[in-house]
Amino acid sequence: MAFEAYIINLLILIGIFSILAISLNLAMGFTGLLNIGHIAFYGIGAYTSALLALSLGVPFWIGLVAGGLLAAFFGLILAIPTIKLRGDYLALATLAFAIIMESIFRNWISLTRGPLGLPGIPKPVFFGLTLSGFSYLILVFVFVIITYLFITRLTKSPFGRVLKAIREDELVAKSLGKNTLKFKTIALVISAFFAGIAGSLYAHYITFIDPSTFSILESILVIAMIIIGGLASVPGAVVGAFIVLLIPEVLRFLPIPSYAIGAVRQILFALILVILLIKRPQGILGEFAFKKK
Amino acid sequence: MPLINQLLANGLIAGAIYALMASSFSLIFNIVKFMDFSPGAIYVLAAFAAFFFNIVLGLNFFVALILSLIIVSLAAIVINKSVYKPIRERKGSNFILLLASFGVFLIVTGIILLLFGAQVKTFGLPIEKGYDIFGALITKTQILLIVTSLVLFFFLQLFMKTTKLGKSMRAVADNREIASTLGINVEKTITITFVIAAILAGVAGILVGIEQNIEHSMGFIVVIKGITASIVGGVGNVPAALLGGFLIGIVENLGILFLPSGYKDAIAFLILIIFLLFRPQGIFGVKTREEVSG
Repeated sequence: MAFEAYIINLLILIGIFSILAISLNLAMGFTGLLNIGHIAFYGIGAYTSALLALSLGVPFWIGLVAGGLLAAFFGLILAIPTIKLRGDYLALATLAFAIIMESIFRNWISLTRGPLGLPGIPKPVFFGLTLSGFSYLILVFVFVIITYLFITRLTKSPFGRVLKAIREDELVAKSLGKNTLKFKTIALVISAFFAGIAGSLYAHYITFIDPSTFSILESILVIAMIIIGGLASVPGAVVGAFIVLLIPEVLRFLPIPSYAIGAVRQILFALILVILLIKRPQGILGEFAFKKK
Repeated sequence: MPLINQLLANGLIAGAIYALMASSFSLIFNIVKFMDFSPGAIYVLAAFAAFFFNIVLGLNFFVALILSLIIVSLAAIVINKSVYKPIRERKGSNFILLLASFGVFLIVTGIILLLFGAQVKTFGLPIEKGYDIFGALITKTQILLIVTSLVLFFFLQLFMKTTKLGKSMRAVADNREIASTLGINVEKTITITFVIAAILAGVAGILVGIEQNIEHSMGFIVVIKGITASIVGGVGNVPAALLGGFLIGIVENLGILFLPSGYKDAIAFLILIIFLLFRPQGIFGVKTREEVSG
């Protein structure tokens, strides 16, 4: 029974991170937007729906949508001034954005309780049934499928082909008469929306959130997932989430003292990331690697 | 006005560290052409190495300092040879290099965490009485910190302008292919760049270590502050990093007058976004906007 609960917990987290990784892949893998601050949208979704539930008693389902929409809105706010920045500079701007958001989660104490975090976030109720354990896994699974199918369809549509054209050569896309800034903005907003949904799913599952869950290092974890699984590959993002989240679990069964697990986990996944970046920057299932133009 | 003077003094002290980090970042960015986060790890490595030699082994401080700087130089050479060089040879983009530098950062700080644990360490220097300068209290160590930063900066400028090596670094920065056809050993120049950058970041880490205390997680914010400082001063312009560093240090400290002190880090990053949007070439930069946005 305990083992079953352990597996279910792991699968739920993998599911939530799959949504996060798929959504980041839309912006980074398919469109080539170097967004290092993706975790901020996840945090906005989590805080929005947690605060709505805790202070206003808003039901999970409305909070979930609100979390996604507010994250999307922040995606738009971030995109309007910064989307024209090139490459590394966009990476820096998104990094700064994520640090500012984390700083707000940490310091707007009257709203977020700062580092104390928000405990007691209610579990979702579905037709009188409180979702937890296996039923929560089903819920997360449904959202993974929705995200998976939506992003797959989107990237195979004419819209998605424009995104890839922008990634390969923005000037060509422009000269074909495409408003590339608009396309990039829409990609970032959709990406932020799904990250917000993932955040809400996380908050109502763990029932406790605090600012450290949304630190920039977690963002690197998600980037590692899509680099490992493969840039511009939707199944790759899921594979990446599996691999990155299973690494620390494997360590659990090795004779490593518990205080060292965090450090060993960090070293191991960073090592895998670096080796892949050197040997196979397109990842396991990816079709694309950032190369010098 | 003692409060403002104290905040200005604190800004200068923080600024001296940011200036060192900014020049470390700027050197690599100008010559090797990518945003490298590994100086943040080098900063932590140097501080812990100095702690190890000086406190754990009980060596003389200056011996410990020299040994630590040798260690970070070797680390920089190993990182370049084993990670960045293979990626350069595969023609990986700047972003791949940036991500790899994140990986390097996590590996190095992870190893330090594994070896030294998560507790905060101190060099255990006696608590000094500060000098009263215009109502601001400044300790001898803090003065030493600011002076060291300025002196190093001066020597860096001198080195870049007058020595053959400095000139070849500038040539590689301008155009790698042409430098190479002129008989400059590009790979060697890049290696030396990483070593100098590591010494700058390493000195910053050791100075902060003796002035405050050290922990494995202290490198991340400081490297981003250094990047911010170099963008604000003007990328592509190493001297401007000095000004950017002091500016960021002073502004974020004065910001405490208007915002809760928890927002100190956010102020610097707000400045970063504002500069990226409105003056991406920085205060002294000459870069055209086209290089930054399309």
